[in-house]
Amino acid sequence: MPLNDADLVARVLLEDDHHAFAELVRNHQSAVRGLLRQLTRSDVALADDLAQETFLRVYKNLHSFRGEAKFSTWLYRIAYNCFREEARKRKELVGIDETQLQAEHDPQTVDPALRHDLMQALQLLPIHERSAILLCCQNGLSHDEAARVLEIPLGTVKTNVLRGREKLKKILAAWAPA
Amino acid sequence: MDETLQGDWLDKRLREEMPYIDDDGFTARVLQRLPAAHPRRSFRGAILLCATILASLLAYFLSDGGRFLVVETYRLLSMPVLFVSLVAITLSVATTAIAAGAAWSNARTQR
Repeated sequence: MPLNDADLVARVLLEDDHHAFAELVRNHQSAVRGLLRQLTRSDVALADDLAQETFLRVYKNLHSFRGEAKFSTWLYRIAYNCFREEARKRKELVGIDETQLQAEHDPQTVDPALRHDLMQALQLLPIHERSAILLCCQNGLSHDEAARVLEIPLGTVKTNVLRGREKLKKILAAWAPA
Repeated sequence: MDETLQGDWLDKRLREEMPYIDDDGFTARVLQRLPAAHPRRSFRGAILLCATILASLLAYFLSDGGRFLVVETYRLLSMPVLFVSLVAITLSVATTAIAAGAAWSNARTQR
């Protein structure tokens, strides 16, 4: 039977079990790398570096995870902090790499033109609205969980999601179903 | 257009925009950067055992071979039964309350 996050965390803490930590990384790498790719405007190399840094910090600070929130919420928070520190260092992040973007996604499921427009639209949003939209609408976090990740008040998250969605709807109006 | 329908459409599209990213050696690269795992040597148990034995020996010799136990037992037997019972009940209730509080606090942390 596969172990859940809490069991894996306990194994890492009690036995310094690298296999358990590898399982945690495998379970969450896609979501973390996906989120960071969106935040870094699809800079795959930078996003993967940040994802590695995220998991290293998780390993070093696992003793401070008290289980009050879901492990994934705590993980996203560390990932977001890594991104924020990097963004501060770089001041502005790299633009979209279309080739990488096309290669990452399965063209069978979503219209590539729609995907392109959606990605462009997301990247037109200010970072605080984009982060809130990515966490709540894409990664399925509740507003409360997103507030913990972004370390901002719950009301601000709700406002950012609402505003971001309104902007996306306007930009993507041509794609909306009739 | 119906706002809810449009919102649902947008959410659906956003979720579809997050396909699974293959591990492709990512986990291995993270593990390579972890500090090496060291077998934990815990001396805590041995230290606690030694400290307990030392403290017991010290108490035994300092109390003149544990004579105070006999003295205190006689003193306790000479006390009124009601008083001893009340003290025992009060201490039991206090201990239970402390244990219940600790269990509740621990359960909240685990949640």
